[in-house]
Amino acid sequence: MAEQDDEREVSRVYRQLPREEPPPEIDAAIRAEARSAVETHPAPLVVPTGRRQWYFPVAAAAVIILSVAVTWHVEQEQPDPVVAAPAKVPPAPAPYAAKESPAAPAPQASRPQLSRERTARDEAPREAKPAEPVAQSGARANALAKLDSPERELQRIAELRAQGKHEEADKALAEFRKRYPDYVIPPPMLDQVEKK
Amino acid sequence: MTAYRDGSAGAFDSLYARHKGPLFRYVLRGIKGQNRAVAEELYQEIWIRVIEARKRYSPTGRFTTWLYTIAHNRLVDHWRHKELVEVPPPGEEPPAGLDADPARQAEAREMLERFARALADLPRAQREAFLLHEEAGLAALDIAAITLSEPEAVKSRLRYAFAKLKEAAENG
Repeated sequence: MAEQDDEREVSRVYRQLPREEPPPEIDAAIRAEARSAVETHPAPLVVPTGRRQWYFPVAAAAVIILSVAVTWHVEQEQPDPVVAAPAKVPPAPAPYAAKESPAAPAPQASRPQLSRERTARDEAPREAKPAEPVAQSGARANALAKLDSPERELQRIAELRAQGKHEEADKALAEFRKRYPDYVIPPPMLDQVEKK
Repeated sequence: MTAYRDGSAGAFDSLYARHKGPLFRYVLRGIKGQNRAVAEELYQEIWIRVIEARKRYSPTGRFTTWLYTIAHNRLVDHWRHKELVEVPPPGEEPPAGLDADPARQAEAREMLERFARALADLPRAQREAFLLHEEAGLAALDIAAITLSEPEAVKSRLRYAFAKLKEAAENG
């Protein structure tokens, strides 16, 4: 009981201390803040700040997934070995091109062109080269396409040799060996293509 | 607070009017040195926190307890990050309407200054428990919930605080 009386007395004295209040300008600022907080509605076309927390990670993830998918797709499209191989060797000697038919069927012409595009993507220095005209690339593709058989090429070299065009035959043989380093020329054919 | 949370700006005004004085004095006297500028800044920050936290408010307990929990947390941050120099509380504001006799007025003023100094000199936990009891009208259980203390510890703090303040009021 006495303790409660003491507490009441202390409380009474405490209440005699100055009753400080916040200044009116702070009152006004707080009330204004409270009003604006409940009256402010985000515009529908503006992305609220809070939502940006997931907006950018999702966008970044989408870009990464797309990049991986495209890369995978490109790698899966392996170049046609028959067509791509000639694209990496120097252009065929003029006699070959001259001997072959000048025009090529459209489907055959389109495939080497695609191969060249792929090669250009793989090899940076070639990216700077301008694209060849369609007709020229078609003829060249035709020539390259005709070189797809080692046996036929050897046959041509043998013909050159038989015609006495040894210099051309030597060049063609050297090219052949560059292109087909693993190809074992059968001895009978070797007799026909090598200089005696 | 529920009405304000649900969008009634007017509800905040009445809430604010009811709590502004006690909360301000709790902050002002809760910080050592009673630095008014610091108190005003802390006081504003507390209300900004209340406004920002309105959507998380659920009327499971008293609003007063919720408000002073926010205030207590802000003061704890203040105490942790700033070591204030202890200075005697200002005595420049004399209490009004005590007595017409100048001698008794002076005596009463002197007593109140002693009392205010004793309040400022209380250990922080005791001072805060006393201010929560006096300004917010909270019982020991609520104070314990706000300050994350045991109720018995709060009762003990209050007992010590009252005893020291009584002594300061009585002994000249």
